Formats: sequence, structure tokens, C-alpha cells
Amino acid sequence: MEEEVLGSIFALSGSLKLGVQRKSSKWTLYEQVAIAAMDCQCLDVAKDCIKVLQKKFPEGKRVGRLNGMLLEAKGLWAEAEKASSSLLEDNPLDQVIHKRRIAMAKAQGNISEAIELLNKYLEIFMADHEAWRELAEIYVSLQMYKQAAFCYEELILSQPTVPLYHLAYADVLYTLGGLENLQTAKKYYASTIDLTGGKNTRALFGICLCTSAIAQASKGRNKEDKESPELQSLAVTALEKDYKQRAADKLGLLVH
Amino acid sequence: MVAELKYEISQNAYIKLVLHALKHKTTAVNGVLLGRVNPQNESVVEIIDSAPLFHSNLALLPPLEIALIMIEEHYGSKGLGIVGYFHANERFDDAELGIVAKNIGDHICRYFPQAAVFLLDNKKLAALPKGKDQSPVLQLYIRDASKNWKLAGPDGGSQLVIKEPAANVVLSDYISSEKWQDVVDFDDHLDDIKMDWLNPELFK
Repeated sequence: MEEEVLGSIFALSGSLKLGVQRKSSKWTLYEQVAIAAMDCQCLDVAKDCIKVLQKKFPEGKRVGRLNGMLLEAKGLWAEAEKASSSLLEDNPLDQVIHKRRIAMAKAQGNISEAIELLNKYLEIFMADHEAWRELAEIYVSLQMYKQAAFCYEELILSQPTVPLYHLAYADVLYTLGGLENLQTAKKYYASTIDLTGGKNTRALFGICLCTSAIAQASKGRNKEDKESPELQSLAVTALEKDYKQRAADKLGLLVH
Repeated sequence: MVAELKYEISQNAYIKLVLHALKHKTTAVNGVLLGRVNPQNESVVEIIDSAPLFHSNLALLPPLEIALIMIEEHYGSKGLGIVGYFHANERFDDAELGIVAKNIGDHICRYFPQAAVFLLDNKKLAALPKGKDQSPVLQLYIRDASKNWKLAGPDGGSQLVIKEPAANVVLSDYISSEKWQDVVDFDDHLDDIKMDWLNPELFK
């Protein structure tokens, strides 16, 4: 991965030297190369690009952001935080700067601060789906599954046809456990299969796991609540077919 | 377990896990270790192979349950079981054994009480190309009598050795040739079942 990025950096910086003619894209290129260079810890390349941009846009907010990122890349957290705070004073609604502060908290291991900042950010920018996902993943890593579920609920409400959110929600519900959650999880694995034309391996497995877990959880309960077994057998058939076609050596491992 | 246990890990099992961690530098990764108690020596746990698991959402149950079922089914027929758990933290300077690792470790202990948890030692890994250290770039954790996970220190009873002494040399070689790109984990398999989590061609 790193090689590709490095290759792109040098290709991009090459085209910069050749004097790309179109006005706006030249400066955007410098910005992109700077960020890519920081990603690979080529801080000298980044510094050079930022210097060029600084000359052209001495009061620029975007240059200010890049300088902040450079401080982050160097691990100079106190300075980076100061830089982003002052940038925020002038630009209180700049999403990128807000997100850099969250990234900094995360990078330093202040997960609770990252969560707090991210929640505050989402109060303002509640349509930022990536931010909701980020928050959900942080909650999952801390085993705060209820909170993660809430994030996915928001995502499903705003984008009901994105299968990724249905799948993630189902995974979280299954992890939470309990008969009701398992039954809901099964529904969302089913909707994932629906939205992906039956091709999502994780959702197919999810149906199988739910069926077992629900059977376990409802032992001794009213037999009238028994679920119809069709969904389970459909899922199993689909999985077996797929494995037979594409991963036949693993077919025997499908113990369910 | 009070007995002084020794964990002996095979070169391939060791390298596979480290390469997996290197492939996904910006996230936490985990894996399981396969092996058995040495039939000639009860105080030695032989780790013969490893299976890289995930590089995202490590704390979700469904993918983990599926992976463990398939892994146990495959290795069970070879007389091997899950004897340990490997974890690499997301951040370079995070050397703590987190709750997810402890929980999965506890789960494995229910089936294999002498199971150990291995945490990637990022600092040791970074220092690898420079030194001649033959010891693994892993920290060994075992459960004490009160079922708490404790770091096994050099003065402690348990220890971890790599079976092949030149493993770190081989590992450094693989790192320079970016071999990590070839490692397939369970996440990859669940995204595309053609990807083989057994990594049969990795060391050929």
C-alpha cells in the first residue's frame, strides 16, 4: 500500500514540476501530495509542499489546516491542538478542523475525549455518515454495544438502503444478545440479504447464527412462537452453493 | 495454572501473525494460535500454526463465532486445538492488554485452560532490523490463580520461545520484501470466500 502511495506522490509532484496549467487544480495537487506525504511520514516532502502553498495563500485556512496536520504528523500534540483551536476560533463551522481534533484525541489514546468531541460534532453535523460510523466503531471497540446500536439506528434511518448499516446493526444486536435482540438481528441480516441480492456471506452466516441462538434462548418457551425454518435453510443452501463454487475445500467446515 | 509452562511457537505461526499486524498498520488485529500440549512433556505447549482473524470491529461476536467454528473444525481433524490468542493494538505506544483481548482469552481458556494471550510488542518490532535479538516480538500473558491476565516476566515461571532460532532474521527479510501483502485473514475470507485464511502458499 505504502509503495503505491509513494508512487503517486512522486508522480503527482512530478506533474507539479512540469507546471500543470489549470489554475485551481495545481494548488489542490500540492495539498493532496502534502497529505499523502504525511501519511507515509515523508515529512520533508510535506513541508516543501506546504511552503509553496503558504507563499501563494499566506492567510489561507487550508494552509493553516495543513500546518496543523504537519504538527500532528510530528507528534507535537500540544502545538497541534493550539493550532486547531485558533483555526476553530476563526472558522467555527469547519468540519475538517473539528475532525482533526477528534483524530488527535484518538491518536493520543484519549478515547473518552474523542467520543465526547465526536458526539458534540454530530450534534452540529448530524448528516455526517462517516462520523456516525466512526463513533459506532469506537463504541464497539470499547464493548459499548448499546451506544453503537444507536449510531447504526441513526444511519439506517437516514440511509435505509445501505446494506452495510443493516449488517453492522445486526452484528451489534447479536453481540448484545437476549432473545429480542437476536430476533431483531435476524431481521436485519435478512434485510441485508435482500439489499445485496443474496450475495452477502456475512449476512447468510448471520441468519444461521441467529437461528441457533434463538433456539437456545427460547428453550422451554411457548412452542407457538417457533420460527419458520425456511429462512435458515435458504441461507444454508446459499452458503453451500457458494462455497462449492468458489471455496470447495472449505465446504466441509460449514458445520451448521 | 501454577505449573511453569513453556510455550514454544513455530516460526511460521509467529511470522504469519506479525505479518498480519504489519499489513493492517492503522487498526488493531487479532488471531488465534493452534497447537497442543507436547505429548512427551506436559509442561510445554507447542504452537504449531496460527490463523489471522480480523482487522476491523474485533469486538463483534458473529464473525468471531463463525471463525472459531471453522478453525476448530479444520484443525480438530489434525489433532490440534486453539491454544492461544494474539492481539495487536491499534496504536504504536499502546502496550496495554485491552478488554477485548482479555475476554477472548477467557473464552479460549474455557476449552484449553493453559491458553496464553500474546500481545504484539510494537517497540521490539520496530527495533527488529537493527538488533540481533532472537526473542519474539511478543509479550506473553497468562492467567493467574484468580483468573487475571498477567504479563509473564523474565523472572516468572512461564516463557515463550520460538522453535527456530533464526526466525527473526527470516521475519526481517519478509518485512523488507513486504511479504505482509500476501497474508489473508478471516475478514478477507468473509468479504470474498475465494480468499483462503489458511494461507497455504504464504511460505512456499
